[in-house]
Amino acid sequence: MYRPLLATAATAALLVPLAAFPASDSEIAELRSMLDQMKTQYERRIQDLESRLAKAERQSADTARAPAESQPMTAPGVGPVAAAPARQIASGLGALTSGSAFNPQLSVILDGNYYHDGIDGEGAALVGQAFQPSGGGHAHEHEGEAGHSHGSTVNGFNFREAELAFSATVDPYFDAAAYIAIDGDGNVHLEEGWFQTRGLPYGLRAKGGKFQSDFGYINKQHPHQWDFVDQNLAYLNLLGDHGIQDTGLQLTWLPDLPLYTLLGVEALQGNQEVFGATLDEAEQVELNLGHSRDGPRLWTAFAKIAPDLGQNHALQLGLSYAHATQHQEVQTHSHAHAGEEEGVELHENGLAGDADLWGVDLVYKYDGAGADGQGDFKFQTEYLRSIKDLSIRSSPHPEAIGSAREFTTDGLYAQAVYGFAPKWKAGLRYDVLGLTNEIGGGTRADYGSSDRWSVNVTWSLSEFSQLRAQYATNDILVAENARERFDAFYLQFLMSLGSHGSHTF
Amino acid sequence: MIKRLILALIGLLIAGAVQAAPLKIVATSTSMGALVREVAGTRAELTVLASPDRDLHQLQAKPSMMRALRGADLVVAIGAELEVGWLPVAIASAANARIQPGQPGYFEAAAQVDLLDVGGPADRALGDVHPVGNPHLDLDPVRMATVASALAERLAQLDPAGADAYRRAAAAFAERVGQRVDQWRTRLDGAPGVVLYHRDAIYLLQRFGVPLLGTIEAVPGVPPTGRQLSDLVATLKGRDGAILFAPYQSPQAPLKLAGDLGWRAERLSLEPPLDADGDGYLNHIGRWVDVIAAGR
Repeated sequence: MYRPLLATAATAALLVPLAAFPASDSEIAELRSMLDQMKTQYERRIQDLESRLAKAERQSADTARAPAESQPMTAPGVGPVAAAPARQIASGLGALTSGSAFNPQLSVILDGNYYHDGIDGEGAALVGQAFQPSGGGHAHEHEGEAGHSHGSTVNGFNFREAELAFSATVDPYFDAAAYIAIDGDGNVHLEEGWFQTRGLPYGLRAKGGKFQSDFGYINKQHPHQWDFVDQNLAYLNLLGDHGIQDTGLQLTWLPDLPLYTLLGVEALQGNQEVFGATLDEAEQVELNLGHSRDGPRLWTAFAKIAPDLGQNHALQLGLSYAHATQHQEVQTHSHAHAGEEEGVELHENGLAGDADLWGVDLVYKYDGAGADGQGDFKFQTEYLRSIKDLSIRSSPHPEAIGSAREFTTDGLYAQAVYGFAPKWKAGLRYDVLGLTNEIGGGTRADYGSSDRWSVNVTWSLSEFSQLRAQYATNDILVAENARERFDAFYLQFLMSLGSHGSHTF
Repeated sequence: MIKRLILALIGLLIAGAVQAAPLKIVATSTSMGALVREVAGTRAELTVLASPDRDLHQLQAKPSMMRALRGADLVVAIGAELEVGWLPVAIASAANARIQPGQPGYFEAAAQVDLLDVGGPADRALGDVHPVGNPHLDLDPVRMATVASALAERLAQLDPAGADAYRRAAAAFAERVGQRVDQWRTRLDGAPGVVLYHRDAIYLLQRFGVPLLGTIEAVPGVPPTGRQLSDLVATLKGRDGAILFAPYQSPQAPLKLAGDLGWRAERLSLEPPLDADGDGYLNHIGRWVDVIAAGR
């Protein structure tokens, strides 16, 4: 195309100066032959260039088209799409993902079960209301909140929740995520909604919003991440259905040490269900408990260390502490009427003060390197100890008002999960509440503990679906001298729709 | 005069410091580790996160990874969502601003070359599919040479003093790759083909024109049914070929298929040994070539 053009241009360029001189025939002939010579030279050069260009084009096309050659048979649908553009980030700095252009990563997790226990379906709620020296789960009841609860399970089919998870990098400075749970009745609960820094120096990270505290180990996990269908007795009774899930700020520091060490503190508003709970205004007035103070009312600190044990083993130890500057609860006790009248009289004491919670955790994982989790082993255990330093603010017994009561309750769980075949895991858990039950200020508490053994089998058909069967034998203290012993059975499904979940430690 | 002396001293100190502190580089896999050793040599202090027998897609984020990433100047990943389950979590938890994606301290091999299997329906009925492309590019030595030269450029950006050394090393590696590829091409000429467990060696097959006769799993991440296996046997009966599977893939189906077809089934890691450098990597590819060539 440009060849004739070039040639003409060259000729013209040569002819212009020629025209200025009168020339003889021989000279003209000589010039003409020179010109022809140049023309052929040019043509050869251009041909050479063209062939090199064509060769280069062919080579790059080869790379793009290449897959077609080696695939006489392909898995359905995963074959190459020749027309798809080669995805290459111009700077080469980013990560290639199939994340959909500027939408947050989105996933929905469906969590439902079939449940049956021997006490008409009371069991699932009962395990969260085990009797303890201080109110525990009873405070929650008194709040009268009809809010979403992970424990509202009845005999038969239950849809526990659909969890919607959105996460994205906001800009070079922040990551953010939102987790919204919708239970089977359609109640919507914001589990988490937080932002976290990306670029702070010195190993610092700050997080703000509503989030699950890094207190302990299992506190941070959402129900679908648990290795068992339900939460352990220690967390359920000392922290409630959602654990420490609160609004506030978190600062963590990962110093650059040879040993993995993570230190963190949190300042949280203190909107808790059990630990650091405050009652609603009507009750606060009625029971002379005082108003909810300005937040933050809940402070936590935690440290986690993890030695490097090579490719197969991983171990993490944690120590956590939480302090609630304000805690309120109602304790009910009954007086049986002696003699003529039948029935019992219920008395309510209003108590307020502060509360401390200690936690120790240990997690050990063995990577069996087998197919689909075969040979993997995980052991995890936590111990929680809650100490509430309260005083009686109101009581039908006037002589008790003003007296101090210190309530100490502890609990622990230990669980192990083993991948006995590709895609199959078996789990065993023991959890107990009330190894220690103490009431400072005169009342004895020697009624023993609530405990439970659970076994389960989990089948992960793929990375995105799980089926689980779980059996538990429960021995739950329901009053100072009353126990409920029952069996409970779960069949659970977990379906994960959308983007690829992360394999956190 | 004194001023000049002081300046010279400071200059020396800075130069000394630059030379004394090698770049801390974390590679996700041993293939990426091999490239780092080859290109950066002693100018880098290398940590490899996953040993070669692990499934890079299934790994879990561990505190020891975060510890390694915490002080890293550069993380070298294969990318294209291969490490999606654990690397983003580990990087975020490592609280190291330099290695976040988008920063010069984040290097992804998949972002440096063209990928195969790009596009395709994003439908999980087809298994654990990744429309961004097949990430297992590290079995293609030619693409790896391209990655090595991109890595050299990145290293030159992070450590300008070593720029020449990095570029020279990458060029030398590319040359060795060129020689080996020519030999391998002759060896694999007319190879009857292979059956893979998963589409994880297609870059190698495509490079040498070896036919992929089938995959044992019908869709990625889902084990085959007996019916699918017997269909595969029916299709391949009477042909020649080799069966290749990775250490973390269940050997049951490959061995059964091998028995039914009278072929060899070989368990070969996708990744070179932990201590591999450029030559270690090429020897690893050599082992693959040997097995494929023996399929006739």
